[in-house]
Amino acid sequence: MLVIALLVLVTAMVPVLVSSPDTRDRPLDPADSSLLGGKALAELLRRHGVSVERVESVSAMAASAGPDSQLLIGDTVALSADDARAIAASGGDRLIAGHQTHLDILAKGVLTGKDVRSRSREPQCALPEATRAGSAFIGGVSFTVPEGATGCYPAAGRPTLVRHTVDGATVTVVGDSAFMTNQRLGEDGNAALALNLAGTKPRLIWLTAPEEPTSGVTGTGGNKTLGELIPDAVPWAILQLAVAVAVVAVWRGRRLGPVVAERLPVVVRASETVEGRGRLYRSRRARDRAAQALRAAAIDRMAPRLGLPPTASPEEIVAAAAVRTGREAPEVRSAMYGPAPADDGALVALAAQLDTLERQVRDS
Amino acid sequence: MALTGRAGLLAALGALVVLLAPDPSVAVLGLALLLAVLVAVDLLLAGGVRGLRLHRDGERLVRLGESVAVGLVVENPGRRRVRGVVRDAWPPSAGAAPRHLKLDVPAGQRRRLVTTLTPTRRGDREAVTVTVRSVGPLGLAARQGSHLVPWSVRVLPPFLSRKHLPGKLARLRELDGRHPALVRGQGTEFDSLREYVVGDDVRSIDWRASARRSDVVVRTWRPERDRRVLIVLDTGRTSAGRVGVAPHPGQPSGWPRLDWSMDAALLLAALAARAGDRVDFLAHDRTVRAWLSGTSRNDLLSSLVNAMAPIEAELVEADAPGMVSAVLARAKRRCLVVLLTDLNAAAMEEGLLPVLPRLSSRHTVLVAAVADPRVADMASGRGTAELVYDAAAAERLRGERRWITARLRGQGVEVVDAPPEELAPALADAYLALKAAGRL
Repeated sequence: MLVIALLVLVTAMVPVLVSSPDTRDRPLDPADSSLLGGKALAELLRRHGVSVERVESVSAMAASAGPDSQLLIGDTVALSADDARAIAASGGDRLIAGHQTHLDILAKGVLTGKDVRSRSREPQCALPEATRAGSAFIGGVSFTVPEGATGCYPAAGRPTLVRHTVDGATVTVVGDSAFMTNQRLGEDGNAALALNLAGTKPRLIWLTAPEEPTSGVTGTGGNKTLGELIPDAVPWAILQLAVAVAVVAVWRGRRLGPVVAERLPVVVRASETVEGRGRLYRSRRARDRAAQALRAAAIDRMAPRLGLPPTASPEEIVAAAAVRTGREAPEVRSAMYGPAPADDGALVALAAQLDTLERQVRDS
Repeated sequence: MALTGRAGLLAALGALVVLLAPDPSVAVLGLALLLAVLVAVDLLLAGGVRGLRLHRDGERLVRLGESVAVGLVVENPGRRRVRGVVRDAWPPSAGAAPRHLKLDVPAGQRRRLVTTLTPTRRGDREAVTVTVRSVGPLGLAARQGSHLVPWSVRVLPPFLSRKHLPGKLARLRELDGRHPALVRGQGTEFDSLREYVVGDDVRSIDWRASARRSDVVVRTWRPERDRRVLIVLDTGRTSAGRVGVAPHPGQPSGWPRLDWSMDAALLLAALAARAGDRVDFLAHDRTVRAWLSGTSRNDLLSSLVNAMAPIEAELVEADAPGMVSAVLARAKRRCLVVLLTDLNAAAMEEGLLPVLPRLSSRHTVLVAAVADPRVADMASGRGTAELVYDAAAAERLRGERRWITARLRGQGVEVVDAPPEELAPALADAYLALKAAGRL
């Protein structure tokens, strides 16, 4: 039993474990119009004459990168070290929004500091993009500014937006990408800041997470499905459990000797024919026959008590019964030889009447 | 061959090993191989079941409602110990317990196992097979084999009306020679001559005998003896109907009329045998099912229950002319024919009534039938239309029974119609009344 229960549990859990994660919400996707998407920003940029190219892979990004383009890397994109190196090697300007691993490669010299709460902050710096935009919803993580870099929107003294020049490319790092989403774009100077940061070049190449998470093939790492996270040994253990179930089935299935058949007697109550006849009377409303049977039985029992032979005529019996009970002869006659009852109530009444008559004959 | 729960447990624990193993695929294969090898070894080491020698002992007869022990001796001539379980299979109505017996026989020794049978029905119960499962020393696998060890237990009618026998015997003794009657009357025969003592009826003085001797001698009389009673049991369809409350559990819808009739027949036979009459027994539906004749008085009851035990009601219309012919062919001398059947108006009118004169002209006939108490209950139903309709149907049946009873009595046949529990004493009373009246 235990083994079977275990197997049922495991088979029930497998679909839950391997089911793919929910992919409806795609944060900071230029094609996504949900609250977390980036479609509003993409539209704004297009209206300002910036062409937005949406790419899903690092290789596509590297292919379309050029001196007139800027890269936008959101925090939903998981990059491997190789990817980061490829992007850094492409040498274009890049805007890194939100927390990103391999920041040491993408933005050499910028180090992440403490996590800070995202809220409306003042620029407090000389960066024109920031001062023109004014306050913005920003935070997420604070950075350590390297020599020659500009830091804005400080939280507890450390900037959450850093602009730095690495190998001739302008790299901008923002601690939190929330201000660029459809939800936050209308607040504060968020829209202005996002436009200023993202619209520095005529083309914006926007890297988003691919639609289908094919992490094994893209090699982005850390983006595995649950099916891949299950240790290799588990399917084999399930196979072993199946073997155990087969063994248990053989154990329980082997009968100790044959099934013994026996010729059984009929089991039928002798009273069933009577019950059937009673039901038949009822279903056909056979009050005439029922009354006749009840009357005949009562008369058969009364005749000897009245001192009459079984062959006595109705008149003799009625007369004798009337004399014995002191009741009127017509009344006795209607009970013993009257017409058939008109309805079921009359039949029940007749039965009671005959009982009374019989009791009076017996007791008198 | 059979596996055990331990093998299943081992395989299930193997799943844990597979989880922890460095190479799970090899572990699965290895475990399967290991299990197969262990099972094979266990099978090889298990004691052989084919070579076991089995035989039975114990009781062959049991009254319905009682239990009987049947022994099964298992002898192990092999070289290895046989350890495991035995199933001694009996038909379900034999009520065999326990279902499984534990067995542990060292090599060259024997053990006796006991199965207790508590049958729920009358008749012969044959043992089916004995299946032995011999588990190996590891407890992973077992050898299994079946043996045929024939044995049958005959389940006899319980003879519940035994309790009425002392009372009826007391009444019989009142008629019997314990108090020799001095008055010659019907149903008496000459017993002996004895000397006259004061107080004897002078009319009983045998003058011839007194003349031969110098003393006054009186004749004494006793109830007639050495009459013949032929009990005829109708085993046709009307006897299959169930009536009353079965005296033993396991028969929820009552007991067949046949069994109640047998009970009454047994009381009658016991009484008649004590009264010095000869009892024969015939069971008949379309053919003769059982015939018992010429048994000594001491063996009568045991022979009778043995003859009755395997009889079951057949679902065919009884052949009344055939039955009358069978009786006439067997009863050469005048006897009391007790016919245990049902007072079914339709069956009687077409079957027995036309041929009854052939029987009643040569023999005294007594018809005994089991009345259905359920019908009496239904006949007293009042109050609602449903109950009154049922009561009318019941009254109709009782009216038919009264009519057929009247017709039978009109032909000089005695009729006993009583509820199941009261049939046996009523039949015994009718017999005693006939005996007292000298109509045997």
